Amino acid sequence: MESLKINYKSIYYPPGGILMWIIIFLELITFGMALVAFVYYGSENATVFHQSRMQLNTAFGAINTVFLLTSGFFMANAVHQFKENNIQKSSVFFKLAMLGGFLFLALKSVEYYHKIENGISLDTNMFYTFYWLLTGFHVIHVIMGLVILAWTNYGMKKKNSDTAIEDVEACAAFWHMCDLIWLLLFPVLYLIF
Amino acid sequence: MMKNSLILVFILLLTITIITTYISNSFSVTAFFAALIMVLAVFKFLLVAFQFMELKKAHSFWKISLIMTLGLIVVLIIGIK
Repeated sequence: MESLKINYKSIYYPPGGILMWIIIFLELITFGMALVAFVYYGSENATVFHQSRMQLNTAFGAINTVFLLTSGFFMANAVHQFKENNIQKSSVFFKLAMLGGFLFLALKSVEYYHKIENGISLDTNMFYTFYWLLTGFHVIHVIMGLVILAWTNYGMKKKNSDTAIEDVEACAAFWHMCDLIWLLLFPVLYLIF
Repeated sequence: MMKNSLILVFILLLTITIITTYISNSFSVTAFFAALIMVLAVFKFLLVAFQFMELKKAHSFWKISLIMTLGLIVVLIIGIK
């Protein structure tokens, strides 16, 4: 079978589809505004934000970044293999991408457990209000992404599957969006205060 | 087979992640280091968007829009910090 071709140069079809990119921009602007507000409050309460930041485990944050980047790398390979009509290989990369997502959630759970165990909640201070809300909403995105990945992988492996490259690219774009959001959350929450 | 370009980008992303974490843990995070960490984060963000998401193949409108949106957010973060 020949490789699938799409005219990505059309303004109406960025890789992943126009609707997915509108969502990506909305998410980026929403999280971006929240991060700007976070930094603004941080400049007003520098000592509290520095002390709170020092309580975060930077290693956990960095390892979670590696998990998501590795997962994104496998996802990019999954799309590449699907375009080459290697559905079985693509499916393997889908599963590896999902594994990265599950590892991220597992480590995030450990981090949340330690925080709760130490009595750190939404009400602790402004830093932690933002910490719980921003990372919590991001975790919801990762869980949704895993559901979308699992569903797409199931669909493309069925006999007489009608899963098209547009579906796989849209699914991948959503998953990469979780990467992109985390790539902004990680330095702002864990590193710069 | 995995694409070589994707492997190179992946290694670069991991390297930058290690560098930024090292900077944050080894030095007092001054305005300069905070700006450096954010610039490196922007670089990682664009690598994922352009290489993994293949935005490099898209119409210029999408590339410019993403760079401008991200640029505005990060300039505000660095400026306020």
